[in-house]
Amino acid sequence: MPPTLINIAVGVLIGVALLGAAFNRRSLAIVALAAAVPDADAAVSLLIPGTTNALLHSIFIPLLAAGFIYYDTVVRDDSWLRARWGRDGVRVAWVALAAYAVAGIGLDLFSPEAVAVFYPFSGRYYAIEGRFVLSTQSGVVQTYIEFADGWFVVDSPGTTATHHVDSWVNPAGEERRLRLIETGWQAVIVMTAIAAVPAKWLIERSDR
Amino acid sequence: MPSSIVHIGFALLLAVGLLGRYYDRRALLVVIAVVLFPELDTLLGWVMAGAHRTVLHTMLTSVFAGGLLWWETRRSNSWIRGRWGDYGVHVAWVALFAHTFAHLALDWAHLEGINILWPLVDQFVRLDGELYYSSTEGFVQTFVDFDIDEETGATVVDPGQTGTTATTHVSNPAQPTSDPDPGPVNRQFPIAWNGWQLYLVVTGVFAVVAKRLQTPRVERDD
Repeated sequence: MPPTLINIAVGVLIGVALLGAAFNRRSLAIVALAAAVPDADAAVSLLIPGTTNALLHSIFIPLLAAGFIYYDTVVRDDSWLRARWGRDGVRVAWVALAAYAVAGIGLDLFSPEAVAVFYPFSGRYYAIEGRFVLSTQSGVVQTYIEFADGWFVVDSPGTTATHHVDSWVNPAGEERRLRLIETGWQAVIVMTAIAAVPAKWLIERSDR
Repeated sequence: MPSSIVHIGFALLLAVGLLGRYYDRRALLVVIAVVLFPELDTLLGWVMAGAHRTVLHTMLTSVFAGGLLWWETRRSNSWIRGRWGDYGVHVAWVALFAHTFAHLALDWAHLEGINILWPLVDQFVRLDGELYYSSTEGFVQTFVDFDIDEETGATVVDPGQTGTTATTHVSNPAQPTSDPDPGPVNRQFPIAWNGWQLYLVVTGVFAVVAKRLQTPRVERDD
């Protein structure tokens, strides 16, 4: 997985983008935390091998949560979320869910370390990696998703049995490494998140 | 460059939140136009060596535009405020934020980087490195390298210099290389490269769609 710091930074950017009137310190913290939660499955991998980037990175978790929030706030007559936390609570719940799915799982899915999105029904890791280029010599080159025999194929480094995802709690070798930033673009994401929060504060203040 | 598509994707993610109550299609288009604008220095590349990623990609554009915007919107007969009101002032600041972070900063971390302080200093700089805590090495950062010059004993600081306008040409579709090849030229127009660039595009589009789906409401009316 890309470092959890990057998941949090993207989560903060999603919070800034979508919280709107519910934007405050507490709601932003909840959304940022939601983006970090999926990476906790690295700790579970000490007990159950092969759960890193799988157990909490499963697409079924946000789907179930979305079903629950929808049922509670739309189908039920009196919503528990709305009664307990008000209208802002509903907004924060949806945005936190978006951060979990997009910043927590999505970011890892688009990295070479891959995510087992269909866990526990399938232990296969998927990575959407490649390039999409228009070239005057070779035309349209698109290697993120290959189409073959009527199926589409994305990169996969293996299954939960064969692919080990390195982490601080469950390292591959002797050395434990807590990765914070791996490369330049990740540093840019972190810088942007740090700048976007005070910018949003200024904007919210001037709007009132 | 990360392609204009990637810049726009990241800019959308930023603009959705920062535009706040002035969020509308016209404001988004202004932000997108501002984010595309610096690529015009590609055209200067035909008449000035090393112009791409130099003339309009220097961080001094942000400093200068920020200062100008501050001064312009605070004088008594401000043109922006007179013509577009608070809407115009707000959108201008958001566009400047997107220009700085979604365009210049992303290019800073890509290929040979940007000529970050041109024309004060003619030096391309690339942001690249790692930051981690290791159980055997402790905290390690490799974004800025510090070395001791063996001859003079002075400390050499390297934030990722890649060259000057004379030695650096950042490849682009208009000029893939600085010296034209005799054979057929392969012009590449990248849409996205690697997973993360596609991810930024997807996330920007997601933010716009999610904003549309949200229940519209008057901010803080209750």
